[in-house]
Formats: sequence, structure tokens, C-alpha cells
Amino acid sequence: MTEEAPAIFVALEQSGLGAAIRQSTWLFPVGNVGHILALMVFAGAIAIMDVRLLGGLAATAPGRVLMRARTVAIAALILQVATGFILFTADASHVIINPVFQIKLGLIAAGLINLAVFEFGVKRSVVKLSPGVAMPASAKAAGLLSIAIWLAVAACGRSIAYF
Amino acid sequence: MLKAPMLRAMTAVTALALVAGSAFAHHGWGSYDAAKPVTVEGAILTSKYENPHATVTVRSEGKVWTVTLAPTSRMSSRGASEKIVAVGKQVSAYGYPSTVTPDEMRAERITVDGKTYEMR
Repeated sequence: MTEEAPAIFVALEQSGLGAAIRQSTWLFPVGNVGHILALMVFAGAIAIMDVRLLGGLAATAPGRVLMRARTVAIAALILQVATGFILFTADASHVIINPVFQIKLGLIAAGLINLAVFEFGVKRSVVKLSPGVAMPASAKAAGLLSIAIWLAVAACGRSIAYF
Repeated sequence: MLKAPMLRAMTAVTALALVAGSAFAHHGWGSYDAAKPVTVEGAILTSKYENPHATVTVRSEGKVWTVTLAPTSRMSSRGASEKIVAVGKQVSAYGYPSTVTPDEMRAERITVDGKTYEMR
């Protein structure tokens, strides 16, 4: 199976870093637990943002709720990338050719594009809205897409082990 | 007005929590045939005391088996240290053959020097 993976991923797995992760008693488990904890925090922050975009928590000022949750989501996402890199590096040549992992990468890209569209478009039309004002359709679409994409990412992540 | 999207989102978050929760459990062993247990006995040819699972290769009855063991932290806490599964040791591994990779099995338990270590 190893020979199917692009050389760069074989090299990553066989690097000193890859060996260190595999040979350490705690690094891989810490990466594993950290990845899940970061996911929980990320999911919580994203859920608050998406619920607000969908029109829930209507009594709150959208700008404040969205921007605070956004800070938490970004921090958790960085932690997820870091811990994910640990898990990936240990077994890069197999994981990279795993179909579910490839779908997961595509979904993460979709999630980030959705985020960028929100960041540079939709956001402007919602952050200054007063509490109780209905959300525009574009905000609802962004919220719905977001929750759907990130749920699918989580489902794919867990499924890597089965394919 | 407010309740429908809230409910929808909360249902989604609950589903996500379930997905995340199951991640603490170990990944499935579906690709091993529990209906055909095998015992692989012989000398350890190579040994990797590594995460996510330690593995050894064992020459047994003319075949070289790859025997998948457990995470290193679990193995060492049960006494199956790196020295126990070192190259040259005689091992008896009871487990299930892979349905995907030929000559690979995952061990339920291994016996070295008369001592049995559970891998699950």
C-alpha cells in the first residue's frame, strides 16, 4: 500500500518526527485526545454561530455573539490542525490514500470556503443587526451549510479507521 | 419562529456529540475474522514497539505473520514491555486473521516465557 502514496507523504511518515510520534508513549494518545477535545470546543462555538445565523438566540446582538464564538472557533480549529497533524504524520502514507480521509480534506476545504464567503460577504450584512431582527437568507444558508459540512467532517474523521 | 432552527441545530449538535464520543472507543476490528481464530507460534523476526499499535512479525509454520498488538501504553502497563516482544523471543499469539491483508492477524493475547498478556 505504501508505494501508492505520493513520495512526500512516505517521507513525512519516515521522518524523524514520524518516528518520534510512533515511538513516544504519550504523543499519539495526547494527539488523539486533544483532537477530540478541540473538536468538541470547535463544534460548540460553530453551533452557537450557526444557530444565531439561522435565527435562533434572537434576543442577542448577532455581532457580539458571532464575533466571540468566532474567536473560540478559530483557536479550536488551530488546535485541531495541530493535533490532526500529529495523528496524520504517524501513518501518513496510509492515511493520505484513505478515501474517507480524502473526502474529509475536501469537506474541510468546503467548510473554509463557506467561512471565507461568510467572512468577506455575509458577515457585513449581519454583524450590525439589532437583536430580534430577522436574518437575511444568505446568513441562514451560510449557517445551514456550516453545520452540515462540519458534521460531515466529524463523521468522516471517525470513519477513517473503518476504510 | 425561534424554535424550529434551534431544535434543528440542537439535534445536529447532539448527533455530533455522539460521533465525537465514540471516538474515545477504539476503532473497529471489523476487518478481522473472529470466527476463525488462529494461534501463531514462533520466533519474533521484527518488532515495532510503536503507536498506534505495536506489531511484530513471527515465523510460524513456514509463513511470516504480521501480528498486530496493542497501543504501547497499554502493553507496558500490563507488563508486555519492549523487552518481552523483542526480536528473537518465542511468542505464541492467539487472535484473528485479517480479511484484508494476507498473513496479518491481530492478537487477543500473547504468551511469552510462560506468561500471558491480554491485548484488549
